[in-house]
Amino acid sequence: MRIGLACDGPSPPQEVVDLLAAAGLPAAALRAAAPPAVLVVGETEWLLAGDADVLRLCAAAALDAAVVGKAPLLEGHYEVSELLDLGVCRDVLVYAAPAEASVARARLRVATRYPRVAARHFDADGRQVDLLTMRSPSLAAALGLVDGVVDLASRIVPTSAVGAEPLVIREEIAACSARLVAGRASRALLGARLGALVEPLRTLVEDA
Amino acid sequence: MIPEGMRDVLPAEARQRRAVEAAICRRFEAYGYGELRTPWLEYAETLEIAGDDTLEAGYRLHDQQGREVMVRTDMTVPVARVAAYRYDDAPLPLRFYYVAPSIRPWAPQRSQDGEFVQAGVELIGLSSVAADAECVILLCDALSSLGLTTFTVTLGAVTFQRALVDSLGLNKADRRTLLHAVAERDYPLVESIASNAELDGGALRALWRTLELSGSDDVLGQARKLARNDAMEDAIARLVAVRDFVNEAGYGGALAFDFGLMHDLTYYTGLVFEAYAPGVGLPLATGGRYDRLLRRFDWDVPAVGFALAFERLLEALEEAGAAPPAAATVLEFVGGLEEPARAAELRRAGLAVFALPEGAEGTGRPLLRRHGSSFRLELADGRSVAGGWRDVLRALEIG
Repeated sequence: MRIGLACDGPSPPQEVVDLLAAAGLPAAALRAAAPPAVLVVGETEWLLAGDADVLRLCAAAALDAAVVGKAPLLEGHYEVSELLDLGVCRDVLVYAAPAEASVARARLRVATRYPRVAARHFDADGRQVDLLTMRSPSLAAALGLVDGVVDLASRIVPTSAVGAEPLVIREEIAACSARLVAGRASRALLGARLGALVEPLRTLVEDA
Repeated sequence: MIPEGMRDVLPAEARQRRAVEAAICRRFEAYGYGELRTPWLEYAETLEIAGDDTLEAGYRLHDQQGREVMVRTDMTVPVARVAAYRYDDAPLPLRFYYVAPSIRPWAPQRSQDGEFVQAGVELIGLSSVAADAECVILLCDALSSLGLTTFTVTLGAVTFQRALVDSLGLNKADRRTLLHAVAERDYPLVESIASNAELDGGALRALWRTLELSGSDDVLGQARKLARNDAMEDAIARLVAVRDFVNEAGYGGALAFDFGLMHDLTYYTGLVFEAYAPGVGLPLATGGRYDRLLRRFDWDVPAVGFALAFERLLEALEEAGAAPPAAATVLEFVGGLEEPARAAELRRAGLAVFALPEGAEGTGRPLLRRHGSSFRLELADGRSVAGGWRDVLRALEIG
């Protein structure tokens, strides 16, 4: 089984590793690993990488399954289906902006890692926005380039630049957590083997 | 050099493609399907008739009378057009096949090439389970005949999901949005519709369980437990009947079931199916029953069909080591350009001859070189023969 693990930081999320280990998967080696990496433990191959790479590999059937955050799934670029909400790494995708805008703009300017989710959110009530896609949107806000950011609440950096207003969470867009996903081909081809991965995790999640 | 998403096919790949295409056509013709070729351009309103966003997102232009025409984005609708306009008096059933490129805007995130080839069949005029099964059997037959030994055909029933959604008692607009959200696997949207419509938790849980249901025969039992009305029971009964026919034909081992299978295309009305093979993330083939499409061309007949995604099929064959050889065996004939009669004699005997001018450097094997009235032949296995023309023919096992 080849399983991908999306890593947002320098190491895989420990809550996910704990859950995988509790489900009987050989996850111990993941604790000391840093992405990007491939670890082979018996018949399990772990792949640690950023979420876009993990999703791409999963959709192309190079991975049998993967654990990724909900936010990149909401972006919806990749043909994978969600098998299970693992209920860990809970976070909220939010719109955050300074309490007072530094510049009055006719059209809102927002930096985000999730442009499609952000566009959908603002479109839903007719607000026009210019979106800037960035890996660290809070930086653009700290420098006064944008009016606000759409990002996971845990990633919002209040501010560090001199004179910049701190970011305050204004709107909640979607609840996020780690999800077990598989590509369309895995779902069709692996059958019972995929079930053997999902079921112990489902039991753990439902008992939690 | 060329527009995004377009690609050139060079001789080695073209040769492979032709071989695969020929093998597929032989299987289609073995079931009595006749080839249809339709034009690149259709009136936009023709392609819009299916009411499907993907099919409508094509390149559009205007003809000299100012009517909007569109580069075709799919073959099912053009085939339906031909059937409805030219065969509406013909005895049923009708069987058509095609191997043809279509063009859609390039979408690299979705692994969508701009230009892609589909090889498909449409069986028109039969609404029976046996007709559904013929399409699944033909798909399995075609994949097997290409040398693909490991593949899975997943069967689903859009009638099951529709009936489930109907049982939720939503208003028309919510129902439509929910079906779309389910097909697109936009689960947050599903949840928001469910909570706005104040659906009971049991109904929503049944929907989630249904979408997760995939696997072998035991899935059918689980689906029966989730069935909330007769329409859902009927959908399962039909799937069982298709499975039994496919079993009889000897392809039962390739089948799986997936109740989460909902095609993006909105015109399917019953069975839906997809084929997968190891190493390829997206389906090699998609198909299903679309009984309401021809009605839109004022001809109310049922139809079922499928299309192989040719590029993904080639990938699967390469992955399985079953791709046809890319390189042809060609005899290089140095001096052959000046010897058209002798080159022709070799070609008549079935050899491919790459004629080069006298004195040219030959690069491949086998290689034939003329020296005055004598010849030197270097064979692919390293042997070489020198002598007259008759010696050459003998060495090449001709005449």
